Amino acid sequence: MAEQRNPHPKSNSPLDPPVRRGASHKEGGTSTLPFPPRRGKGLGGGDRVVLSVDNLRIHYATPQGDVIAVSDISFDLYEGETLGLVGESGCGKSTTAYGILQLVQPPGYIVHGSIQVDGTEVLNLDEEELRKFRWTGLSLIPQGAMNSLNPTMRVKDQIIDVIESHEGKQTDKEALRERIFELFQNVGLPNRIYNMYPHELSGGMKQRVCIAMGVALHPTVVIADEATSALDVVVQRIVAQTLVKVKDEIGVSLIVIGHDMGLLAQIVDRIAVMYAGKMVEIAPVENVYANPLHPYTQLLIDSIPSIKERKPLKITEGITHDPRNPPSGCIFRLRCPFAWERCAEVEPPPIYVEDKHEVACHLYDEQFEERRTNALASLANP
Amino acid sequence: MGSFSLNYLLRRLLVFFLTVWVAATLIFIIPRLAPGDPIQAMIARMTQFEGYVENADLIIEAWRKRFGLDDPLHVQYFRFLGNTLRLDLGYSMANFPATVYELVGRALPWTIGLVGIATVIFFTVGNLCGALLAWYRTPKWLKVLIPMSMTFTSVPPALFSLLLVYIFGFLIKVNEKPLFPQVGAYARGTTPEFTLEFFGSVLYHGFLPAMSIVLVTFGFWALGMRGMMVTIEGEDYMILAQAKGLKPFYVLYRYMIRNAILPQMTALAVSIGTLINGSVLVEIMFVYNGMGSLIYSGIANQDFGLIQGTSFILIVTSALAVLIIDLTYPLIDPRISLEGR
Repeated sequence: MAEQRNPHPKSNSPLDPPVRRGASHKEGGTSTLPFPPRRGKGLGGGDRVVLSVDNLRIHYATPQGDVIAVSDISFDLYEGETLGLVGESGCGKSTTAYGILQLVQPPGYIVHGSIQVDGTEVLNLDEEELRKFRWTGLSLIPQGAMNSLNPTMRVKDQIIDVIESHEGKQTDKEALRERIFELFQNVGLPNRIYNMYPHELSGGMKQRVCIAMGVALHPTVVIADEATSALDVVVQRIVAQTLVKVKDEIGVSLIVIGHDMGLLAQIVDRIAVMYAGKMVEIAPVENVYANPLHPYTQLLIDSIPSIKERKPLKITEGITHDPRNPPSGCIFRLRCPFAWERCAEVEPPPIYVEDKHEVACHLYDEQFEERRTNALASLANP
Repeated sequence: MGSFSLNYLLRRLLVFFLTVWVAATLIFIIPRLAPGDPIQAMIARMTQFEGYVENADLIIEAWRKRFGLDDPLHVQYFRFLGNTLRLDLGYSMANFPATVYELVGRALPWTIGLVGIATVIFFTVGNLCGALLAWYRTPKWLKVLIPMSMTFTSVPPALFSLLLVYIFGFLIKVNEKPLFPQVGAYARGTTPEFTLEFFGSVLYHGFLPAMSIVLVTFGFWALGMRGMMVTIEGEDYMILAQAKGLKPFYVLYRYMIRNAILPQMTALAVSIGTLINGSVLVEIMFVYNGMGSLIYSGIANQDFGLIQGTSFILIVTSALAVLIIDLTYPLIDPRISLEGR
């Protein structure tokens, strides 16, 4: 499995051409994309579930009532898989990540749900158990270009403190040093930054320090929260490549949060699309780009800018609802071009389409096949 | 750590001397703007005690000549500057023939001791309280108790001294003797010497004055620290520290306090002068022979020499404190470097 997933082991320096696994990706059907999707055959990741999120609900308490940030979402993450979490700003993708990491800051709170990492129920851990579980079970790669490193601590000390607080005081300083150098090498950082302070590094270097730190303890699942957002495109590419390379080498499962659909297409195996706190579609990356099923996913894909033609941004049509009082039935019906009565009456359950592909839309219910055919036809001939 | 540059050091020293010069000029001018002069004040005092002073006019004239007060102002000014440069602070007119240098030399150690110890205590306690107020793991009762104790901050130090003297030096008695002495810097009958007994006596006598400074001051530092801690809590690296599963106490001192303390250090250096001024009334209240009492007697007697001398010492101390914190800041904040730009 590892062989198949990493066709160029060791040769990946950050300056290599963009990572593209599986050269045999299908050309047909992806013509709307300005870039080819990352993978062509099969799915990344094994079949063993390493992270299972079930019915997770997170609210933010406000004086005017609770804002529903994450509304009963469920998904599985498979071993060795890279899952992209996308959606517009405020749709709850970061809150989902912070919920999984048990880092939701007040006034946010987890209402209910279950988060299992390798069989461990994260929500049941007490404070000390959770502290020990953090970073060994779940680690975070934050948007490190900005302010994620402690400004008064040397880079080495910030990596050492994570090692020492989980593995105890390290007596062999030389081995510790070698271990950190190895981490630096993994992410393409020079050894000279060992003794430097964060302000002496560039944005891309800081981000790579965060990646090195994130994988230092070989966690089960790594969550990268907009890890490339604050960087310019060139550095973005390097950081994204580093992320994928390190992930493959160490063999962790990765959740990448972002809104750069182009970048995500190149690094993830599956994409989960979120809208207003709901997960509307989760699908292998090719399906999402070539054959998006949920009307929101379709709009999202349609709004990726194209070099060839200038097109209006359709995604802004319709009204958004008050996050304190979501509409009945389907969350997207106020903006959905295909909505009908049923959408207001029944909340669409996730519908199984194929392996690892689910969509929450009534159109894909067997009994509304005719409606679906018409809808898709109208989409093809507007 | 920032590297050091000679250029910066020289520029910084220039600013230091400039500050001291401007301040020296001000302390020369300001006492002379007040009506009357020290000789008249002295004669007036003598008259008060003895009813009549023979040849008062002649005495005034002779003394004015002796102290150079009949020279034109600019001559006095340059003489003052020249003497100051040689660290010759002149005579105290009210305590002639004692020199200002002698008086300050006698008073300064007491104030350094009192204010120094008080500063160490209120800075530590204040910052610790502020940090604990902002920390999520602090017990509830502490979070109630600390803000309550901060009400002392709104009481003037002198009034607070009175209160402490009344309670601990009068009301509470152990074996018919007050818990703490009401006045003085050391027990009557002991002579200043380097013995354990004398040192203990000094600590015992210094407790109430130090407490009256600490209790009215620490709340100010606690509030400042709390504000900084809350700011730090919102930083991205705090979320990461939590995600990393670091031990809570380690996060408190290495991530939070370490970063929050930086502006407090600067504020401390700037406030050194204010601190000594603030202790003036406390020292008088406790009849403590420090700089505060000396400044007070200088002002009361219109003793130009003494006012100039003591103020000068205070200014140099403050400027020196700021200079030291500026030069050592790169040691505590790695983002600051002394390299000339």
